[in-house]
Formats: sequence, C-alpha cells, structure tokens
Amino acid sequence: MYVILVYDVEQKRTAKMLKLCRRYLHWIQNSVFEGEITEAKLQELIHRARRLIDPETDSLIIFTSRHERWLDKQIIGKEKSSTDNFL
Amino acid sequence: MKKSYYLFNPGRLSRQNNTLKFVPIDEEGKEGQARYLPVESIKELYVFGSLDANSALYNFLGQQGIVVHFFNYYEYYTGSFMPRDYLLAGKVQIAQTKTYLSANKRLALARRLIEGATHNMLKNLRYYVGRGAPLQNPITQIEALWQSTATAPDIETLMGIEGNIRQTYYECFEHIVSDFAFEKRSKRPPENELNTLISFGNMLCYTLCLRQIFHTQLNPTISFLHEPGMRRYSLALDLAEVFKPLLVDRTIFSMLNKKILQASDFRTELRGCTLRPAAAKKFVTHWEERLQTTIQHRTLKRKVSYEHLVRLECYKLIKHVLEIQDYKPFKAWW
Repeated sequence: MYVILVYDVEQKRTAKMLKLCRRYLHWIQNSVFEGEITEAKLQELIHRARRLIDPETDSLIIFTSRHERWLDKQIIGKEKSSTDNFL
Repeated sequence: MKKSYYLFNPGRLSRQNNTLKFVPIDEEGKEGQARYLPVESIKELYVFGSLDANSALYNFLGQQGIVVHFFNYYEYYTGSFMPRDYLLAGKVQIAQTKTYLSANKRLALARRLIEGATHNMLKNLRYYVGRGAPLQNPITQIEALWQSTATAPDIETLMGIEGNIRQTYYECFEHIVSDFAFEKRSKRPPENELNTLISFGNMLCYTLCLRQIFHTQLNPTISFLHEPGMRRYSLALDLAEVFKPLLVDRTIFSMLNKKILQASDFRTELRGCTLRPAAAKKFVTHWEERLQTTIQHRTLKRKVSYEHLVRLECYKLIKHVLEIQDYKPFKAWW
C-alpha cells in the first residue's frame, strides 16, 4: 500500500522521529513522508513510533491508499526531494 | 513491495541512522543534496555510476540482506555483493549436486530448460507472424532443431543445438523491429543497437535470476545446462534462458516499435555501441514496469508478477532435485 505520513511532535523529539521514518519512507518535506510500504512494515513503524512519542502532546497521522495510482500529487513551488528509484 | 534502486550518478553511499544516505558528487567534486533511501523498502541496488562506500555500509547491507550489483563504465555486469547465505539447506545442496553428477538426470533437466526457452521464443515469433512479419521459415527451423534435442547424447550437443535455436531466433529480430538491423549476434562489445539492447537486457535478467536464487535454498554455482564454471553463478544463466524471451526480448520489441528508444539513444564508438545514460534509464524504467506486471497464475489461482515467476521457477527446481515433483519449465501462454 501507499502511505503519506505526517507528524507533529515536540521539538526535542523531531530528530528521533525523522530518523525513524527515514528508514521506512521517503522524506518529501519537513515532517512529511510518503512511500510504498507493506502492512507489516507499517505496523512495525507505528509500533516504534508509539514508543517514541508522548500521546498527550504529539501526533502522527497516516493516510493510506491502496496504490500510488489512486493518488494525484501536485507540487507547487520547489520539489524538496523526489521519491523515485533512480539516483 | 520492496523496490530496486538504480544509482546512475557518481556519489557516496553511507550508513546513517540505520538507513542509507546517498550524496551525489558532480564532476567538480562538489556534493549535491543528500537523499535518504528507506532501507526497509530496498530490494537491491544496481550501481552504474562510480560509488564511494565503506565496509560499515556493506556490513549493514549484509545484515539487511540487500544484494548490490555492479556495472562498469560500458554497463557490463562486473559482479555482485551478496550477503551471507541465509537460507542454508544441506539437503537441497546435496540433491542439487547429485542431479548434476548423474549424466542422465542432468541431461533431462537441461533439455527441460531448453524446452521452456524454445517455447517462449516461438511464442514471441508467432505473435509477430500474426502481425504480418515473414517468420514462418525460422519458426519451422526452430521447431526442427527442438525436435533434434530428443536424441542429443550429451550436454555439449544440447548446448550446440540451443545455440543454433537462439541464433535463428535472433535473426528474426530485424523483421520484428523497424529501423534497426541485426546482422549477427556480437558481444564484448556489441557492435550495433540491437546487440547492445540484447546484452543490456540479458544482463538485467541474469541479475534478476541471481537475486531470486539467493532468496531460495539453491546454490547458484551448480547449474545443469551451462557448465558450472569458475567465477560465475551459472545457475542464474540456466534460469535466465527461460525468461529472456518473455522479459528481455519483449521489452526490446515494445520499446523500439513504440519509438521510445531511437537511433539517437545510442553512441557508436570505435569499438562497439553503447547506450547513452538517459537511454539506459529509460530501458530500466520499462524493465521495472514489466517485472511488476501481474498475470493470473493458472495453478496457484492468484495474481503473480513476472518477477515472482522466476522465484516460482526456483521452487520448481528444488522440488525436482528433491524428487518431489518433476520440473516442468515455465511456458508463456499469452
């Protein structure tokens, strides 16, 4: 499945969150990630994120879609980072 | 779905925060913007540009089970970094070796592999006969050659016939694609556009088979059709025979006939012909798309991707050497 993940965590935890998400998804903007991921890997990511955040103040929102093709993506202004597999 | 990553630009790949960081470096040695690759979703890496890396990175890749394939400046396959074997099964290995050592068993299996390859080649040709290409003669020739494998006394004869089949087949390419001449199969270096594409595609197919074998208990160095030589994973060559017509050749036909690749995408030099970097990228994009194409599998009764068909083929080989079920080669039915 294809997901978009955004987080809003307290400043001292942002770096940890960033590092964790980078292992699973493509960074596209500050605190925004997207990419293809399996169900199991997503659960793994959520589990790890849960241990990191403070449920009182932080939040993590995940938008899921069955496939990338059901997603229209527009970029206005500068594309900060692409998600393709050619480097 | 895990993805393959293709590194065309020179740069430095390193381990950082338990994931991979790629920093491109341009001709003046200046560093570009870093890209982080999500390590959990990497299937394998293809390295075409020059890459800086250290052992910490390879330790990490090994831990994660990620295979890295290397290619030189002319896009020739030079080798692979394979993590430690993680699916070890002495039983399969012994069975595989036993099948190889028994002349009869080996010959039978090798013939099966050629059967698959021939069938898939004929499938391609017949499709183009339907579209008006004058290929009836070569088809009859190939069928006759295939018949003669039944009486082949040893592997060398079999390989010889296989070579003839493939030569006849490749000579048909001119009639299938417009604008390009085939002349003859030339390698190291390929001398014209078609040969370049065949070589490039076959190489991708070979690495694909190698990766699928890596994820099974088979030993990639013990092969049946090809002679298990030194310095190469010959079982991957055996498997590639069956899949080249379906994966490589069809990609070539569609890319040339739709004019996605044109004469300007090639660079003919003093010695041989190479793909321009942008063209190699185009080819690889189409190749990836093809691998992800799914078909309804007849016996499994579910959709499988072309890529997964190769893995299924490995499982069939395992069953064959363990004498659970006779190997029937994959035959395209569409």
